[in-house]
Amino acid sequence: MSRGRLGQYTLWQFRDFVVERGIAIVLIGLMLGYVLIEPLRRALGPAFSIDAKSPGRPVLVMVSSSIVSLAVLIALNGIVSTDRKMGYYRFLFAKPVSPFVYYAQLFFVYMAGVLASMLVLSGLLHWVVPSFSIFHFLLYTAVVFVAMGGIGFFISVATRFDWLTLAAVWLGSRILRDIYGEKPGFLSKLVQVLPPVHKLNDLATDIIANGTAVASDVVWLMAYGAVFFVLGLLLLRYGPLAD
Amino acid sequence: MDGVSTASHFRHASSIVIDFRNVGKTYRSLLGTSVKAVEEFSLQVPEGEILGIAGPNGAGKTTLIAMMLGYLRPTTGTVEINGLSPREYVQRNGIGYLSELVAINPKWRAETALIRYATLAGMSTSQGRARVDELIELLGLAEHRAKKVKALSKGNLQRLGLAQALLRDDQILVLDEPTHGLDPVWTQKFRDIVTELRRPDRTILIASHNLDELQRLADRVAIIDHGRLQRVVSTGYEQSAPAVTRFRLTLAAGYDRILESFPLAEDAGRGEYDVTVGSIQELNSALADLIRRGALVASVVPEHSVLERQFREAVGDPQ
Repeated sequence: MSRGRLGQYTLWQFRDFVVERGIAIVLIGLMLGYVLIEPLRRALGPAFSIDAKSPGRPVLVMVSSSIVSLAVLIALNGIVSTDRKMGYYRFLFAKPVSPFVYYAQLFFVYMAGVLASMLVLSGLLHWVVPSFSIFHFLLYTAVVFVAMGGIGFFISVATRFDWLTLAAVWLGSRILRDIYGEKPGFLSKLVQVLPPVHKLNDLATDIIANGTAVASDVVWLMAYGAVFFVLGLLLLRYGPLAD
Repeated sequence: MDGVSTASHFRHASSIVIDFRNVGKTYRSLLGTSVKAVEEFSLQVPEGEILGIAGPNGAGKTTLIAMMLGYLRPTTGTVEINGLSPREYVQRNGIGYLSELVAINPKWRAETALIRYATLAGMSTSQGRARVDELIELLGLAEHRAKKVKALSKGNLQRLGLAQALLRDDQILVLDEPTHGLDPVWTQKFRDIVTELRRPDRTILIASHNLDELQRLADRVAIIDHGRLQRVVSTGYEQSAPAVTRFRLTLAAGYDRILESFPLAEDAGRGEYDVTVGSIQELNSALADLIRRGALVASVVPEHSVLERQFREAVGDPQ
């Protein structure tokens, strides 16, 4: 008897993403976009664009980047922890499949799902704001998915309360960096190891609006997420599946 | 030897498939308190055996199974399956597993849940669909195949769980409380299925509270309590004649002859009598005498099976 057909199972994983998360992400994105962008677009008319001089630019960047963060949070919520909390892992991993490979694949399937959802939303935004670049937006989405998603993945492997923990880590890092980041001393050095969320604002403007980015910032963010993603996989490989 | 054996005394010469060596599992909380779920558990399970695992609630049965599937790591000792660590074995070969709590995503439909598991089990789409159809038929799920898992009754969910455990032709089957929630018809059907699954190269573990079920299905039963292996009981009655046992005799005719053959028989009503004998030989000679006197014996049933008796001795009254 052969081993599990994980490649073929990708279709089921993608279907789950669409039904359980993708539709919700698109609807929330549409809602936020309509409520926050549409009134300004109507008021400014043709002047509303992503161009540097347009007053609509900060709003476009802020709203679209927030939708990406929210989408990543929704996508990663319970990616591993739900199966463990609900006991679904018992039947899944009595089959000849590796949890390590199963969840690594799931991570990338969800990444594809988030990119597809963002493609739909950015396509609509591009339709109403032609200067809005779909490609730049998807590039930003990919960077944030790896950066934020890698940490989210690790937290989902390590704890049952992953969504809350990820939100707390994200917010906590931001606040601690704001308080201690610029001060001299040990604490300012310590906060440097926290997730580099402070770089996301600049990165959003750079990538979404300008299509450029400081390479070191991108590398730092993605490497940070990638390290946690690998740590999560190692925890799956060497840690227990059951509590 | 009164039905009690140890792993090393097991009668089969077959190769050992599952090997628990001095296994212990201690759960530790963040506050520092610890609970020993399993302690110094050693047992070898040979190829072709149906092994029962019996024990009261919290005895450690499910923890043992979780370690066998590689979901938990032992704190001490080792578990090996065909010489491999459990996780390695499962990832290479798979194990047919029905857990005590059947946990399947409630949003999935019964049939598609099985097709998903078939894909994970390594079956091609056509193989998987054919096997799923077969199991849906075998387990009476035809009218429920399109239902969402959350809409299934406890019994149907249990049968769905059993169906996913039987998808592959696995060498090892682990069934944790398999008849939990099944009605008497399906309980009997389950026994027939397990009997058909018996094969010289297949090892089956059944954890159950139902001693009668284990007595009927298992070759041996490991009785555990407080995480420790109390004893291993062979279920074959011929090997385990008790010293003194009560039987219930049911007569179809010749009721007035009973006291001549069994002077201490107690009338239980409706042609049933409780008799106490010192040995199987004594029972047989008294029965032969009774039949010779013209009585018609309809049934002879021990008050407690060998397993029940052993269980009572090991852990107290069965639940």
